[in-house]
Amino acid sequence: MSHPKKNITLQKKQNLFGWAVLMPAVFLIAAMSFYPMIKALILSFETGIGAKMRFAGFLNYTRMFEDKIFLQALMNNFIYLIIQVPIMLIMGLILASMLNDKNLKFRGLFRTAIFLPCATSLVSYAIIFRSLFSVDGFINLLLVKLGILSSGYNFLANPISARAVIIIALLWRWTGYNMVFYLAGLQNIEYSIYEAAKIDGASPFQSFWQITVPLLRPTILLTAIMSTNGTLQLFDESWNLTNGGPANATITMSHYIYNLSFKYVPNFGYAAAMAYLILILVAVLAFVQMKVGDKRD
Amino acid sequence: MIDKGKRVFQYVFLSIVSLISVFPLYWMLSAATNKSVDVISGKLIPGMALLANWKGLLASQNVTGAMMNSFKYAIILTLISLLICSLAGYGFEIFHDRGKDIVMSVILLAMMVPFAATMIPLFQMFSKAGFLNSTIGFVLPFISTPFLIMLFRQSARAFPHDIIEAARIDGLGEFQIFYRMFMPTMRSTYAAAMTITFMNAWNNYLWPKVIMTDNESLTMPMLIANLKQGYVTDYGVLMLGVLLCTIPTVIIFFILQRSFAEGITGAVK
Amino acid sequence: MIKKIISSFVVAAMALSMVACGSNAATTESAKTEPTKEAESKGAEPAKEAEAAPAADDNTLTVWCWDPAFNVYAMNQAAEVYKKDNPNFVLNVVETPWQDVQTKLTTAASSGDLSTLPDILLMQDNAFQKNVISYPDAFTDLTDSGIAFKDFGASKVAYSTVDGKNYGVPFDNGAVISCLRTDVLKEAGFTPADFTDITWSKYIELGKVVLEKTGKPLLSMQAGESDLIMMMLQSAGASLFDQEGKPNIVNNAVLEKVLSTYAELVTSGILIQVNDWDQYIGTLTDGTVAGTINGCWILGSIQTAENQKGLWEITNMPKLDGIQGATNYSNNGGSSWAVTANCKNVKLANDFLAKTFAGSVEFYETILPSSGALANYIPAGKSDVYGEPQAFFNNQKVFSMITEFASKVPSNNTGVYYYEARDAVATALTNTIAGADLKSELETAQSTVEFAMGQ
Repeated sequence: MSHPKKNITLQKKQNLFGWAVLMPAVFLIAAMSFYPMIKALILSFETGIGAKMRFAGFLNYTRMFEDKIFLQALMNNFIYLIIQVPIMLIMGLILASMLNDKNLKFRGLFRTAIFLPCATSLVSYAIIFRSLFSVDGFINLLLVKLGILSSGYNFLANPISARAVIIIALLWRWTGYNMVFYLAGLQNIEYSIYEAAKIDGASPFQSFWQITVPLLRPTILLTAIMSTNGTLQLFDESWNLTNGGPANATITMSHYIYNLSFKYVPNFGYAAAMAYLILILVAVLAFVQMKVGDKRD
Repeated sequence: MIDKGKRVFQYVFLSIVSLISVFPLYWMLSAATNKSVDVISGKLIPGMALLANWKGLLASQNVTGAMMNSFKYAIILTLISLLICSLAGYGFEIFHDRGKDIVMSVILLAMMVPFAATMIPLFQMFSKAGFLNSTIGFVLPFISTPFLIMLFRQSARAFPHDIIEAARIDGLGEFQIFYRMFMPTMRSTYAAAMTITFMNAWNNYLWPKVIMTDNESLTMPMLIANLKQGYVTDYGVLMLGVLLCTIPTVIIFFILQRSFAEGITGAVK
Repeated sequence: MIKKIISSFVVAAMALSMVACGSNAATTESAKTEPTKEAESKGAEPAKEAEAAPAADDNTLTVWCWDPAFNVYAMNQAAEVYKKDNPNFVLNVVETPWQDVQTKLTTAASSGDLSTLPDILLMQDNAFQKNVISYPDAFTDLTDSGIAFKDFGASKVAYSTVDGKNYGVPFDNGAVISCLRTDVLKEAGFTPADFTDITWSKYIELGKVVLEKTGKPLLSMQAGESDLIMMMLQSAGASLFDQEGKPNIVNNAVLEKVLSTYAELVTSGILIQVNDWDQYIGTLTDGTVAGTINGCWILGSIQTAENQKGLWEITNMPKLDGIQGATNYSNNGGSSWAVTANCKNVKLANDFLAKTFAGSVEFYETILPSSGALANYIPAGKSDVYGEPQAFFNNQKVFSMITEFASKVPSNNTGVYYYEARDAVATALTNTIAGADLKSELETAQSTVEFAMGQ
C-alpha cells in the first residue's frame, strides 16, 4: 500500500488490525499442526518398534534411500505429479471459462455434474473404476468393439497401464474440484472485459489466454500449490483402486507411510522421516511456484 | 453462422464431460435399488430391492444418528472455519507487508506433512485434554487450514483498494469494512469455500476413527466402513449407504453453485 | 497445560467470531449457539463419566469388534448367556471395523495412553504376534486366567500365543475348505468325491478336464494377494519364518513348491486372477468359476447367490506333492479375543470369556444357526446342532465337517513381520507370473523383509 501522506499512527493501527484478524487462525495452526509436527520431527530422529524408541540420528533419513519400496513410491508420486497436475489444471480452466458464459443454458446442471466426482464416495468410485477397467469391463468391451484391441486387456495388472488408470481416476475426480475455484475467481473479473474483447474481434482462444489466465493467476497459483501438495501426499487412489499393485508399481509415499504405521510392525520414527521428506519436496516446489506466480501488480 | 457451430460443439463437449462425471452416481443409484448379487455382476438397470436394502441398512446401522452427527460436525466446522480463515486471508492480503507474507509462507508448511505422521501427537494432546468422543475433538484440528487461508488471501487480491479507502473516509471501522464490504463482495469465494469445507468435513475419516470410540459418535463415513467390514458384504445395502452419504454434499453444491458462479460484481459497483 | 492453551485458543476464536459477525444475522445465530453447545457438552461429559465409572468397575465390559451379523451378534449372545448367572452384567459392544481397531490400538499404545482402549477387543489372528510384540504393555496375559485353552485346536491357539503366554481366546474359525459346484463337475463327469483327499497335481489334472468340457476355471483369486500361497504353506506346517523368527524365503523348498504350483494353476487357466475382492465374490456368485478354496467363512458369501442353492458342496483342500508333512488342511483368517491392559476388571473379563466363548456349548449352539459363526471350541463340534444337514450345500453336514478339518490344521509360525513377508512374497508372485525368474524374485523378497526387520 502506498499512501505516504497517511498518518503514521493510523497506518500502524491498520497494520495491527491486520495482525489481529490473522492471529486466531495462526494460533490454531501453531497448536494443531506445528506442535504435532515438531513432535514428529523429533520422532524422525528416533528408531524402534512400537513405543520403545531410541535416538538414531539421521539413520531414518539415510535408510529411506536404500528402501526400494520407498524409492519406487517416490518415483510413482512424481509420475502422477508431472503428468496429471498440468492436464487437470488446464482442463479445469477450460471448463470454468466455458461455464462462465452467461448465454449458456443449463449452466447449473453442467457445473453440478462436473463437480460431482469429488463428492462421490471413495468406496463406490473405487468399485466402479476397478470394474470399468477389468478384463471384461466396459472399457475393454468398448475397445474391442471399436477394433482397437482384439481381446480384453487387464489394465490393472500392468505397471504402466495401472498408473494410467490412477491418473485417469485422479483427473476424473479432481478436475471439477479445481474448476470450482476458477469459476469463483472468474466472478471477480468484470464480465464486460470479455464483451469488449469480443467486439474487438478476439477469438475465445485469445481471450482465454490473454484475459482469463492472467487475471486468474492468484487462483491458478493456489490450485497449483494445492495440487502439488495433494499429489505428493496421494493416498486414496493407491489404497483403494490398486492397493499399490501390481507389485508396488502404483504405491505412493503416503500409502507406504500408512503401511509402516498401521499394517506392518509399527516404525513411527521411519514413517515420520518419510513424512518430512514429503514436506521438504512440497515446500521446495511451492516455493518455486510462489516465486514465479505470487506477484502483486 | 460460425457462432452456432461453436455453440453446438460447446454443448456436445459439456454433455459428454457431464455424462462421464455423472455415470458413477447413476451406477450408485441403480446399485442401491438392486440385490447384492446383481450389483457385483454389474447390472446397470435399477431394480426392485430398494426397500429391502433400506430395511437391511436400518437393521444393522444407526443411520439417523450418523446423519445427525455428520451434519452437526460438518456445519459447525464449516461456519467457524470460514469465519476464522476468511478473516485471516483478509488480514494477510489487505494489510500485507513483508512480515505477513513470511508468516503466510510458514503457515503453508502446516499442510505439507501427511496427517498420518502428526496424528499420534495430536491424539495424545486431545486425549489429555478430554476431547475424545466430542464435537470439539472432531472440529478443532481442521478449523484453521492453510488452504482456506490462502484461498481467501488470493481472492482478496481482486478486492479493490479504493473501496476500502472510500469506506474509511465514510467513517467505517475496519471490522465494518470486513463484514459490510468484503464479505458480500466475496460471496462467490465464500460459497466455493463453504462447499469444499463442508465436503471435507463430511468425508473426514482418519481422524474421527481415531478419536471416536463410542457408538454415539458414529459418522456417515464410519457407517460405510462398518458396512463393508463383515465376511459377507451386502453391496446393495452398501451402495444405499454410500448414496445417502453423497447426497448432502451434492445438494449443498447445487444450491451454492449459483452464488459462486453467477456474477457478484453488482455488489461492488 | 496443553488443555489450557487449547481452550484459551477456542475461547479467543469464539470471542472473535462473536465480535466479527455482530450484525450478520444469519451467521450470528449459529455462532452464538456454539459456545453454549460446547459448554453443554463439556458439562455433560464428566457427569456421564461419573455415572459410568462405578458401573465400569463392577459389572460392565466394553468390547470392540466388527461385523454385526457375526462377531457383534456372537458377543451379544454371549452376554445373554452370561447374564443368566450374573444378572447385573452389562456388555457394551462398539462396532469397529478391524482396520479401525488396529489404527486405534496403534495410536493409543504408541502415545502411551491406553485409557481409550476397551476391556476386550477382537484381533485378527495374523496380527496377534505383531501387536503383542510391539505393545506388550497393552495386553493382559491370560495364561493363568482359568480359561481352558486345551479345548481349542492347537494351531488356532498358537496364533495368540507369544513367548509361551496366552493372550487370546480363539473365536472365529478360518479352517480352509474347497468349495465345488456339483452341477459343473457333473457336466465334466466328476463328483466332489474325486476332489477329496487329493494332491495339487491331481487337482490340476481334473481342473484341466473341467475347463475343457465346461469352459469354467475351478478357481479365482485376487491378484497381488497371497491368500492361497499362505494357505498352501500352512497346509504343510511351513511358514515364511524359521523358529528364531528370521525370514525363511530363499531356499524354502515348500515355498518354491507352492509358488510353482500357483504359477501352474494360472498358466493352465484353472485359476483366473481378478483385481479385487468384490470381483472375486462376483466370480463365485455369478457362476464364472466352478469352485473356490478359502477360509470357511467364505460360505456366507457363496450363500448370497440364492439361485445356486443345493449346487454347492465342500471338501478338504488339495495337498502339496512330495512335501514332507503336507496335509489337506489349512487355515485362512480368523480372529481371537484379547483382553487389554486397560481392563479395570480383569477377573470379570476372564470369567465372562471362560464361561461363554471358552466354556459354553449351549452358547455355540445358539449362535451357529443364525450367524453361521463356527467354533474352534472342540466340545461344541460334537453338538447335534453342528450335525444338521445344510440344504444349500446339498444336505452336507458342513459344520461338523469344518470342525473336523479345523482340528487337523498344522500349526505354523505366523511371525511378527507377517504382513511384510506376505506382501513381499505377493510381489515376488506377481513378478514371477509376469515372467521374472523365481529364484531372484525370492531373493529380493527375502532382502525386502530383512530390510524391514533391520530397524
